[in-house]
Amino acid sequence: MEDLAAETPVPIPSKRRRTWSVTLGLLGAPMVWLTFFFLIPIAVVAAYSFGALAIFPGDAGFTFDGWQRFLSGDSIYMSLFWKSVRMSLTVSVSVVVLAYPIAYFLAFGTQKRKYVLLLLIIAPFLTSFLLRVFAWKVILGDQGVINSLLFWLGARQPDDPVSWLLYSQFTVMLVLAYVWVPFVALPIFVSLENLDRGVLEAASDLGASRWRIFRKVTFPLSLPGVMAAFVFVFIPTIGEFVTPLLVGGTRGFMYGNAIVGLFGPGFDWRTGSVLALFLFGVVAVLIGIFGRFLRVRSVTA
Amino acid sequence: MDIATSRNGLRALRGFFGLLVVFLYAPILILAIFSFNDGVLPTFPLKGFTLRWYEQFLSNPELLEALRTSARVAAVSSILAVSLGVLAAIVMVRRRFRGKAAASAFLLSPLVIPYVVFGIALLILFFAVDTFLQSTFGLELGLGWRAVVIGHVVVSMPFTILVLVPRLERINVALEEAARDLGASGLRTFRSITFPLIMPAIVSALVIAFTLSFDEFAIASFLASTDTTYPLYLFSQLRFPTRLPQMLAVSVVVIFLSILVVLLAEIGRRVAERRLAVEPSTAIGGSGA
Repeated sequence: MEDLAAETPVPIPSKRRRTWSVTLGLLGAPMVWLTFFFLIPIAVVAAYSFGALAIFPGDAGFTFDGWQRFLSGDSIYMSLFWKSVRMSLTVSVSVVVLAYPIAYFLAFGTQKRKYVLLLLIIAPFLTSFLLRVFAWKVILGDQGVINSLLFWLGARQPDDPVSWLLYSQFTVMLVLAYVWVPFVALPIFVSLENLDRGVLEAASDLGASRWRIFRKVTFPLSLPGVMAAFVFVFIPTIGEFVTPLLVGGTRGFMYGNAIVGLFGPGFDWRTGSVLALFLFGVVAVLIGIFGRFLRVRSVTA
Repeated sequence: MDIATSRNGLRALRGFFGLLVVFLYAPILILAIFSFNDGVLPTFPLKGFTLRWYEQFLSNPELLEALRTSARVAAVSSILAVSLGVLAAIVMVRRRFRGKAAASAFLLSPLVIPYVVFGIALLILFFAVDTFLQSTFGLELGLGWRAVVIGHVVVSMPFTILVLVPRLERINVALEEAARDLGASGLRTFRSITFPLIMPAIVSALVIAFTLSFDEFAIASFLASTDTTYPLYLFSQLRFPTRLPQMLAVSVVVIFLSILVVLLAEIGRRVAERRLAVEPSTAIGGSGA
C-alpha cells in the first residue's frame, strides 16, 4: 500500500484517503467521457456484430453468421482486407524511409533554425486533409495540371492524355504517403534529438567510421521513434476511405470503403460491424506488439 | 570531425530536405494559383487573374453556413477536450496511484483508433439509444452537430494531453507546494499557480484541438446528419466541376488562416514560456532549441 501515498513523505491514513478521492475526482470526468463515448460504442459494435443487440426490426438473435461468412476463405472482404494491408504497409514503409533523412538532417545537420525547419515540414499536416488529397486529383487528372501542361508543351495530343496517373492503387499510395510524411518526421526527430551524443563520440573515439556509427549506434537507438512513426501511419491508413474515394477509382478501393459502403447504400450494418470490429481487433493486436514504443515520450518532450 | 554527417552527406541531406519541402508545398501552391485563375477548369495555360471565385464563395450562403457549423463544432469540442485534458494531464503528472499506467494508456488510446471504426461505433450507439428512447419515451435526440462534438472531443483529448504533460512536468512543484503550505486550497493553488504557468500549453492545446475538429471529415460524415460541416460540404461540392474554383478559393483562405494561427500560437507560446522564466519547451518535440 506504500505506493498509494502521493505527495507527503509520511502518509497519514486519513490524508491517504483524501488523496485518493482527489485523484478520482480529477480523473472522473475524462474517464467517464471515454467510457461512454469510446469504450461503450465499441462494445456496442461488438454486440451488434454477434446479433446480441437488435436495432432494426428484423434483426435476428445471437448469431455467428456474419463472422462465419467474413472469415471463410473466399470472402471478398477478406481479400480486400489483405489488399489494404499491402497498400498501407507499402505506404508506412516508404513514408518512414522518406522521413528518416529529414529527421536526421534536422537533428544533426542544423542548429539555430532547427524548430523553424521542423515547423515548415509539419505545417502542411495542419492544413485541410481533404484539400491536400484533392490537389492530386487536380494535378493528375486527364484534364489536370500535368496533362494540360503536356498538351500545352505539345508533348501529348489533347485526345490522348496520360490516363494512368489517376484512379489506381499507385495513386492512392502516393497520395497517402504525401499526406503522412510531415507527421512521421516528428517521432523520428524526437528520438534522434534525445539521443545521447556522448555515445556517438565514444564510438567515434574508438575508431568507428561514420557509417558504422550510424548502423551500430544511431539507427538502433532511434528505432523506438521509427516504430512509433510506422504504427502511427499504418493504423489510420489501413482504415482509410476518403483518399480512395477521391483518387482511387475502383482499383484503389480499400477495406475502409467496404465498411462505409455497408453503412451507406449497401445497408448491411451487421456485416459492417463485423468488418469494423475485425479492424479494431487487428489494431489492438498491433498495439499489443508495438505498444511499448508508443509512450507519451515518443511524441513529446 | 562531425560524427553524424560528412560534408557531402550534409549537402545531400540538405538537398533532400529541399526536395521534400517542394513536394509538400507544390500541390498546395498549385491549388492557390488556380484559385486566382480566370477559368473554371484547373488547366494550363493560365487564363488571367481574377478575384471572382473569392467573391463567389463569400456570397454562397450554404458554404458560409457550413463554415459556421464547423466553427461551432470546433469551438465547443476544443474547449471540452482541453478541459478534460487538463484534468487528465494533472493526474498523469502529479498523482501516484495503483493502475496509473493502465489509466494513462486508456486516456491516450483514442490516438490509435481508425476513425472509420470509431465513427460507425458512435453511429450505432446513438442510433441504438435513439431507437430505445423513441420506443419508450417518444423522445428523439437524433444525430447532428452535438454528436460530432462528442466524437471530436474523444479523438482530440489525447492530443491535448500530449501537449499539456511535458509543460506540467517542467513546472517547479515547489511553487505549488508553497501555495499549499501557505494554506491555499487545491482549487486555489490551481487557479493562481498552476493554471497561469500552463496557460501557454493550454493555448497550444486549444489550437490543435480546434484545427483537428475543424478539418475532420471521417467521423463527421457518419454523425453530422443535416448539420453539414465545412469538410463535408467541400467533399459534396468536389463532384461539380463548376463549383471547383470557389472551393479552391475558400480553402486557400482556410489553409492560410490555419497556418497563421498555428504559427502565432507556437511563437506566442515560446515567448510566454521564456517570460515565465522556465526552460522553453515545444509541443512538437525536443527540449528547447
